[in-house]
Amino acid sequence: MAQGEILAGYLAPHPPHLVYAENPPQNEPKSEGGWEQLRWAYERARKTLDDLKPDVLLVHSPHWTTHVGHHFLGVKQLSGKSVDPIFPNLFRYDFQLEVDVELAEACCDTAASMGLVTKMMRNPNFRVDYGTITTLHMIRPQWDIPIVGISANNSPYYLNTKEGLGEMDILGKATRKAIEATGRRAVLLASNTLCHYHFHTEPEIPEDMSREHPQNYPGYKWDMRIIEMLRRGETRKVFDILPQFIEEAFAEVKSGAFTWMFAAMGYPEIPGELHGYGTVIGTGNAVMEWNLARQAVHAAAVNA
Amino acid sequence: MTIVAAFLFPGLPHPMLKPEIAPWGRLAGAARSAAASLDAYAPDTLVMYSTQWIAVLDQLWQTRPHVSGVHIDENWYEWGDLPFDIRIDSGLAKACIAGSETIGVRSRPVDYDGFPIDTGTIVAQHFLNQTQGRPLVVTSNNLYHDWALTEQLGGLVRDVALKENKKVAVVGVGGLSARMFRAPIDPAEDRFADPADDEANRTILDLLVEGDAEGLRAAAGRIGAALPVDSGLKHLAFITGALGGHIGGAHIHGYEPVYGTGAAVVEIRG
Repeated sequence: MAQGEILAGYLAPHPPHLVYAENPPQNEPKSEGGWEQLRWAYERARKTLDDLKPDVLLVHSPHWTTHVGHHFLGVKQLSGKSVDPIFPNLFRYDFQLEVDVELAEACCDTAASMGLVTKMMRNPNFRVDYGTITTLHMIRPQWDIPIVGISANNSPYYLNTKEGLGEMDILGKATRKAIEATGRRAVLLASNTLCHYHFHTEPEIPEDMSREHPQNYPGYKWDMRIIEMLRRGETRKVFDILPQFIEEAFAEVKSGAFTWMFAAMGYPEIPGELHGYGTVIGTGNAVMEWNLARQAVHAAAVNA
Repeated sequence: MTIVAAFLFPGLPHPMLKPEIAPWGRLAGAARSAAASLDAYAPDTLVMYSTQWIAVLDQLWQTRPHVSGVHIDENWYEWGDLPFDIRIDSGLAKACIAGSETIGVRSRPVDYDGFPIDTGTIVAQHFLNQTQGRPLVVTSNNLYHDWALTEQLGGLVRDVALKENKKVAVVGVGGLSARMFRAPIDPAEDRFADPADDEANRTILDLLVEGDAEGLRAAAGRIGAALPVDSGLKHLAFITGALGGHIGGAHIHGYEPVYGTGAAVVEIRG
């Protein structure tokens, strides 16, 4: 078996509004559109993902919050109706997905061997969280690639940001080892918003884009600063200021997916490709890609 | 009297899913004792405020007349499923929605097939209302509401119940100290995660028994700043608000650890 590899990582936020706006057959509520900038960003990301032809998509979602350890979906076929408890008017989605249980178990075992508390979720009636589903739908609406779903242990909130993200760093490194050991060609999805300040009321027509803008200017400036650094490949600098960003912009990256993804990729100092940025009820959302496969080809050509 | 009874009830599923574990079984017994007391009050409707139903936009109220299904807790899924079958007092819920503008809160109805009823509501319904099947009003824990606003929300329920001529029992569904063990434990050896948590919980319970609503308000703020508690103990604010800001004492049916956290079944008099 060839050694597995991480082909790419995507920052792939999960506002259910994007699914609502797209009107897929799986989602019950229907819209007049909206949030086009972000949906077009996902369309671009879908194309690059398609080119990569991965065996598996791994997603870390802040809306599967666990208290005792890091959990992994461990049932091969999961299906049901996912209703967003915050936005039930927008997201009532019939999902059906296939889990790469072998890889999930490898991630779970490897992370445990590296000192984390981990657990496999084996209940066949489990309802997958809307964050996982939204990210997966937006990046691959065909649902034809097996997935690994990873919970967000609440350690960054329960302990503190540094300790919590330290756990996510270990989780990422364990994920990489598991991918390599199982021979998978994998893509990572960090299901996180950037600035997470949001409005506290919703317009009468949720997709009325005349009402959509950043909730506050400092948060927007933080998002632009972080995106600029990521576009320049200044990964180390981003992680140096990440705690400040989290604190001042109430950034959802605190929940760990962003750190997990970068740790798994080895914190590459390569330019991230911004597919697009937009706000959803005032929060800042960027769809970005770090294409390690393309980078490897480029590096090989340079060295030849 | 519109509010005929009030209860603090823990929302973790352990007593429902694993009653054979000694401390959780004792909580289940306390819950059955509380249910017997509740029946004696013969309320028309139970109004539940559950800390596990999180809202960030508006105040949400369940208005679907009948909700049923099977819920799987996102943390404790390995111990089984949580079936539920709940009748909703839609009329009272809609009256609360209509009245919420009087306290400066925007409310919204929730009437969707498949809406995820939270674990706390299901556990409370299972123990307190399984035999009688009284209709419920269930409302959410808006993360941006503080103690004072949550008290007003409880007061709103009191006012609306009076206007609608309903006998209502209010149930604040949630825990006390929220420090949970971070690694698996032998459930038979469950205990409070920290002795300070036990001490803080007992302070809260003593204030309830003494009927000291003002002291409770102050202690909730002080304790909430010092150690992790469930949602700032706002479920108690909902109860004190519904009781008109006063507590006439309390009877503790049970107090136990649940995976390190504090859980109590308490009957609170107005």
